[in-house]
Amino acid sequence: MRVGIIGVGCSKFGVRDDVTLQELAFEAVKEAVEDAGISKEDIEMSVVGTAGTRSYELMPAVPINEYCGFAGKGPIRVEAACATGSAAVYTAYSTIKSGIADIVIAIGIEKMNEVDTPTSLAVGGRSGSYLWEFHQYGTTFPGYYAMHASAHMARYGTTEKQLAMVAVKNHRNAAKNPKAQFQKEITLEKALSSRYVAYPLRLFDCSAITDGSAAAILASEEKIKELGLKDKAVWIEGIGYSSDTANLSKRVDYVGLKATVEASRMAYKMAKIDDPVKQLDVAALHDCFTIAEIMAYEDLGFCKKGEGGKFIENGDSDFGGKIPVNTFGGLKAKGHPLGATGVGMVYEIVKQLRGEAGELQVDLKNYKGLTHNIGGTGHFGWVFILGV
Amino acid sequence: MESRTFVLKHKLPIARVEKYWKGLEEGKVYGTVCKICGAKYYPPQVDCSKCFNSEVEWVEISGEGTIECFTQLHSFPQGFEFVGKPYTIAVAKFGDFKVMGWYEGEIPKVGEKVRIKTGKDETGVWKVYFEPVG
Ligand SMILES: CC(C)(COP(=O)(O)OP(=O)(O)OC[C@H]1O[C@@H](n2cnc3c(N)ncnc32)[C@H](O)[C@@H]1OP(=O)(O)O)[C@@H](O)C(=O)NCCC(=O)NCCS
Ligand SMILES: [Zn+2]
Repeated sequence: MRVGIIGVGCSKFGVRDDVTLQELAFEAVKEAVEDAGISKEDIEMSVVGTAGTRSYELMPAVPINEYCGFAGKGPIRVEAACATGSAAVYTAYSTIKSGIADIVIAIGIEKMNEVDTPTSLAVGGRSGSYLWEFHQYGTTFPGYYAMHASAHMARYGTTEKQLAMVAVKNHRNAAKNPKAQFQKEITLEKALSSRYVAYPLRLFDCSAITDGSAAAILASEEKIKELGLKDKAVWIEGIGYSSDTANLSKRVDYVGLKATVEASRMAYKMAKIDDPVKQLDVAALHDCFTIAEIMAYEDLGFCKKGEGGKFIENGDSDFGGKIPVNTFGGLKAKGHPLGATGVGMVYEIVKQLRGEAGELQVDLKNYKGLTHNIGGTGHFGWVFILGV
Repeated sequence: MESRTFVLKHKLPIARVEKYWKGLEEGKVYGTVCKICGAKYYPPQVDCSKCFNSEVEWVEISGEGTIECFTQLHSFPQGFEFVGKPYTIAVAKFGDFKVMGWYEGEIPKVGEKVRIKTGKDETGVWKVYFEPVG
């Protein structure tokens, strides 16, 4: 039995001081229900993915469920750091596969701007292994990825300019996405002259602190037939997951993420992908920091290890390149509201595969796309292959 | 509007790895080695994740190591405002152990040799420091 996605929704990402967590969830949920063209009452279970801690609402699943009219239907709250949204989609998928429910909604949400930047940096830094990392050394998330950047640059000669090119591309795409946090293009010079946040990463190498929500409604194949939604459904053809040690001191190296390698191999096997660049039309990759997108090209097998810098330089990940990456602006410029990010990637690929991406539409040949969502620095890894 | 103040301060149960924290005060950095299967741990742990036994030997990590990766932080997290200037975090390899520490200097190089030491910061927290060699 296959599981398909029948409706998707996504809020405007950015600093959303204008709404509560519940109101923000409502925006994506309403859009997803309307997109599916079903009645809200048809949904049997809700999964709420949120990393939490930065919002005043500490146990947010029930307040969100109440506000969206799902009281009594779940909720299951899931957390997988920045990969929370993918864990929510997976939970919805497996709930349907188990036969417990036929229609499940995955809601991903984060409000990160209710606290100040130092607090947000501390929450991120505390999510490795607190006692041995943050407590002693004051780690931050930009810092964890900067450490990987330092190793990647030293081993493969990756340059600050190549990192900045990822930001320039993703800002260019976000400029055409009305839901993006930063709807503006940036120049290479601007990126390369911005201040250091965590050397060697500068401000424009970082994703921002973002509020946002996204929702996806999944259903069993039988239900999709029964509802007459077969032409609209986007199928989940491959799922892969992995993880790595909490402590960076226990990693083999710092030039890639093992969780990406393992999750992608598992998803490729399930979806029968052996040449991702040829078989996929579009990909949403986890570019929380520019180095993360470069490592992802390599770890997903889009290019050889160490050639990620050249991949961006050659325009291989741009529109018209080998495989367009982060067509809606990526975490870098669309924004990175942790719990919403993975569901937002599904939103992007569903829109692309349905041919509904407007100005940002890619050419469709294979009608297959990929999402790659990392929690922490490879502390969690999820890859989905979607297809129609 | 603003929420009511909510302070979170946690107790840290370090009883089973007390030797590590005492060691830092004596200038020593300890890792552990499983007596049954030989698995090596840094940060130290007293239960073996590999063979599920709980008999470990404490071994000192000392001498010169090599920097594998580093960063210098310019945006500080809550709790580290006291440093007052950019600080540098590195992971260095000492034989079979990799250790995180604060680098005493500006911007290190990957592959650079460092000496391991311990010390206390202004808030009284003991930690590992890396001193550039030569
Ligand atoms: C990089 C970071 C520290 C900057 O935060 P900050 O120093 O508080 O910056 P501010 O919010 O004061 O923003 C200053 C300006 O830069 C812009 N800006 C902030 N972050 C930006 C980013 N990542 N990229 C581009 N511009 C950014 C702001 O819009 C603002 O512009 P304005 O002056 O035109 O209004 C913060 O965005 C951050 O922590 N990012 C990483 C988030 C993260 O770690 N996520 C992973 C999960 S834990
Ligand atoms: Zn053992």
